[in-house]
Amino acid sequence: MLFLTSLVDQPVQGRTGEAIGKLDDLIVRIGEPYPPLAGLVVKDGRRRFFVPASHLESLNGAARLASSIVDLAPFARRDGEVLLRRDVLDHQLIDITGRRIVRVNDVQLTRVEGSYRVVGVDVSPQALLRRLGPRVLADRIVGRQIIDWSDVQYLASTAPVQLKVSYDRLADLHPVDLARIVDALSYRESAEIVAALDEETAAETLEEVSDERVADLLEGMDQERAADILEEMAPAAAADALEDLEDEVAEQLLARMEPEEAADVQALLAYDEDSAGRIMTTDFVRVPEGATVGDALAAIRSLDEVPDPLLAVYVVAGGDPDTLRGLVRLRNLIVAKAETPVLDVMDDDVPTVRPEDRAEDAARVLAEYNLLAVPVLGADRHLLGIVTVDDALAVLLPEIWQRRGARAAFA
Amino acid sequence: MKRSWRRVLPYLLALGPGLLAASAGNDAGGIATYASAGASYGYGLLWANTMVTIFLFVVQEMSARMGAVTGKGFSDLVRESFSLRIAALILLTLFVANAGIVVSEFIGIAAAAELFGVSRYLAVPVAALLVWLLVTRGSYERVEKILLALSLCFLSYIGAAFLAKPHWGAVLVHAVIPTLHREPGFLSLLIALIGTTISPYMQLYIQSSVVEKGITPEDYRYTRFDVLVGTLASGIIAAFIIIATAATLFPHGIRVETAADAARALEPLAGHYSRALFSLGLLGASLLAAGVLPLATTYMMSEAFGFERGVSRTWAEAPIFMGLFTGLVVLGALLALIPGLPLIKVLVGVYVLNGLLLPIELFAMLRLVNNRELMGEHVNGPLHNAFAWGIAGIVSLLSLALIVFTVLGWFGVGPGG
Repeated sequence: MLFLTSLVDQPVQGRTGEAIGKLDDLIVRIGEPYPPLAGLVVKDGRRRFFVPASHLESLNGAARLASSIVDLAPFARRDGEVLLRRDVLDHQLIDITGRRIVRVNDVQLTRVEGSYRVVGVDVSPQALLRRLGPRVLADRIVGRQIIDWSDVQYLASTAPVQLKVSYDRLADLHPVDLARIVDALSYRESAEIVAALDEETAAETLEEVSDERVADLLEGMDQERAADILEEMAPAAAADALEDLEDEVAEQLLARMEPEEAADVQALLAYDEDSAGRIMTTDFVRVPEGATVGDALAAIRSLDEVPDPLLAVYVVAGGDPDTLRGLVRLRNLIVAKAETPVLDVMDDDVPTVRPEDRAEDAARVLAEYNLLAVPVLGADRHLLGIVTVDDALAVLLPEIWQRRGARAAFA
Repeated sequence: MKRSWRRVLPYLLALGPGLLAASAGNDAGGIATYASAGASYGYGLLWANTMVTIFLFVVQEMSARMGAVTGKGFSDLVRESFSLRIAALILLTLFVANAGIVVSEFIGIAAAAELFGVSRYLAVPVAALLVWLLVTRGSYERVEKILLALSLCFLSYIGAAFLAKPHWGAVLVHAVIPTLHREPGFLSLLIALIGTTISPYMQLYIQSSVVEKGITPEDYRYTRFDVLVGTLASGIIAAFIIIATAATLFPHGIRVETAADAARALEPLAGHYSRALFSLGLLGASLLAAGVLPLATTYMMSEAFGFERGVSRTWAEAPIFMGLFTGLVVLGALLALIPGLPLIKVLVGVYVLNGLLLPIELFAMLRLVNNRELMGEHVNGPLHNAFAWGIAGIVSLLSLALIVFTVLGWFGVGPGG
């Protein structure tokens, strides 16, 4: 096993063992699953020149070249090529399995069928100590923590050249983990990640990212894509994000959204942040009071998209679908016979909240009455939406101190 | 009219991080340093404040520009661009400087508590526990605005300075024409003035907030305006603290030895309430920074060295992160509890240390800002470089002079002297 930090600054020898210079850096092509070595940067005094990997005989001990004649063309950076020491060592990567951001303390290489490839990175603190202390002591520090290269995501924005990086591996991460990483990375790195996600995943991820970062990301991307992502997001999350944008930009994005989704979001924006109206869901099932259980179940099945979570159906007045009569819990709906009228299984003594109530109060009602959802009634006692336990949980748990919060607090 | 508004508006909207970063410089240690300067040398150090304000702008501008061009924070750039050993040295310097300020914040809390007649042996441990709990439970943000508002009490120095009827002609002359005193106390106050005005955490803060906001080189000119306004505001407030203490304490030969002395400069404005006003401001500013600085410093080290991080993590998940944060809070509180500690002297001393460490940060910054691979066409111009290296040189020389004076002083008070 070879490690980058024990290779660099070591002498490079020609075919007969004569000194050619010192190894300055290793160049790899990042596109492949295990990036192959493309060449060496060799330093002779102040000059740095390129030696193609095909001229390399061995890297064990001192780097030894197959020939003593080297083309002394000065080294210049090229697109698609990454320097292991400059662009990978000491930089950040995403550890997909560990679902975290790591810093590379060493790079592991190995010889596969005659050519050298990057196979992993060492992220252990021991690797740091080995490099910090004197070289003689380095061998006495044991312990490594190697992450296989196929398990890391390299960020193209790390290197100062144009790179084609595959982001397939991000698909293995849960949107919640992606969100945590997006929050912890710098803006530019997080924008790179979000740009690589499909709209649905991007929306699911952004729902969990802090509002300020979402606003910055939306503002930084193409407006058409931003509008598409906002459409996919839960209306409450989209409203929170839009509120953090400048009014002008928020209006432009709303105008680009599908009218139906834009209307949902705008309805929520009418309520204060932290109000029940803002966190409520407008996606729920209504059935008229004359219906049977069978009708209600059929109504649910006929929907294109069934609300998730589906906890109850809401029984409304026959002549006025906005007037709430009561609700039927899903449990009772399933247990009852199909021909039973919904009014027979309906709870009519249901606590409700108003949209301008504080979100915390809505959560308290849920807790006190052991409910899974509470209806939100407007001024004329019109049914506007429901606040589910899911919506309320986010309010009840103290906001987790995010990294960005801490940074912005440097004042 | 409308068109000119459109041109001005982006500048006004950009006001924020730069203003906040610069006003953060006026914390417990800052107030102590400026008040000492005014009380001990009258208007004699005003020129230094003017000079340091210009220095501050040059340094903050470079930090903000690095953030806008590279999209990375200072500690990230240090780790990624220097060899590991050099990077570790620079980060250690920043860590020590920040840890010193953490200590000074707890001293600020102790001083404020004693002004209220509360023993610091009670106030400091309670404050440390409170800060630790608020931060690790993630509810610090809720109290932040209250603390920030409290710290605005220090603005009353502006009113106090006017009411003290200073000699404005002398103020103007001293603000631009340097006077020098050949004594070590003057030199160390001068360095403390530099250290408190150009604190590393202000550069770390401005750069990371520029990075966080995703400001691009195209939008950078608005940020530069923000940095300019912030620097000016910070310089003006500092000047008024010096003027207020110079007009009230200096003529009576009152040196600032305790927080109560510094509060007396507010008497022309607040009379009997000057102590309360001063201690409220001190408490707000110190509590604010006592939570934020240890956390930000812990994030800086954890990010640079790749340790697992986040206050939502448990001790088992992020032992180094939690250990560093807790250690900084405990260290700050313990040092502030040492019996018989001359609080104001220690506060000034922390900034002397900051001033001594500053050259290392400045040299690192100049190397980075002139790195073409990182900064492209946005590297310093030759004039800018000459000026910035000049600052680094002046600060280094002053620091060196202080060390020499101090060492000579040791021999001076030795058995032979």
